[in-house]
Amino acid sequence: MAYPMQLGFQDATSPIMEELLHFHDHTLMIVFLISSLVLYIISLMLTTKLTHTSTMNAQEVETIWTILPAIILILIALPSLRILYMMDEINNPSLTVKTMGHQWYWSYEYTDYEDLSFDSYMIPTSELKPGELRLLEVDNRVVLPMETTIRMLVSSEDVLHSWAVPSLGLKTDAIPGRLNQTTLMSSRPGLYYGQCSEICGSNHSFMPIVLELVPLKYFEKWSASML
Amino acid sequence: LLLGELVPTMHGFLAKHLQFHIVGTFIVSLGTATFCNFAIAEPGKKAYADFYRNYDSMKDFEVKRKAGIFQSAK
Repeated sequence: MAYPMQLGFQDATSPIMEELLHFHDHTLMIVFLISSLVLYIISLMLTTKLTHTSTMNAQEVETIWTILPAIILILIALPSLRILYMMDEINNPSLTVKTMGHQWYWSYEYTDYEDLSFDSYMIPTSELKPGELRLLEVDNRVVLPMETTIRMLVSSEDVLHSWAVPSLGLKTDAIPGRLNQTTLMSSRPGLYYGQCSEICGSNHSFMPIVLELVPLKYFEKWSASML
Repeated sequence: LLLGELVPTMHGFLAKHLQFHIVGTFIVSLGTATFCNFAIAEPGKKAYADFYRNYDSMKDFEVKRKAGIFQSAK
């Protein structure tokens, strides 16, 4: 979950999110390289009285400042495309869960074996127990088996919503009349929080998502108890 | 001594200034990038590798279950 004074991403819980974290570090390094280059040159220009007013051609420097940015862009594009294709790898999910966005709650359907469906409303601040997180807790969490590939199908019953869980690197738009698919794989057990990420009305900020990742045995017991 | 030999060089200063500093710019910015790589990127990768090297998800689950955070596993 997010924490106060946070500057970077939340800790990665899935292999894809780890890749995205490292890619971000790589790209930020390139950004610092370019920024320090430009800042140094600006300070250079501002601290000299020397001038040259008869420049006629600049063929060499034009070549350099075309080729160098092209190389930098390739250095960014290659890891980026690698991760993009990694996200689309065939992974044979063991479970399919559907989530429908509503104004203003999420509903979940586990229909692989039995018909299990439930709504997930935010717990109002006045009803929170000590230790619970404001604007993030829900009454019925999405319990899922850890270390398993899960297919999430995301859609909406009314307006646009977006189902997002930052620590798993997931954000999938919920569009009425359309089925979007994403793959979920958590490397660790625990609670992972997210919030609706597409403006959907007055309570857009009050329809969070909580994933509870547990071992398969506990997931099976939970789903049997929910029927 | 001829007067011509005593006249100091009065051209090429900007070019020399630029050449010196352009090399300096590249050294500084590549140094910044290298520093970012070894101070941020590499430790980040190492932190995840170290965490998962001997990670036991069931043990982690038991610790969290005993803390009482799960709805589905008391």
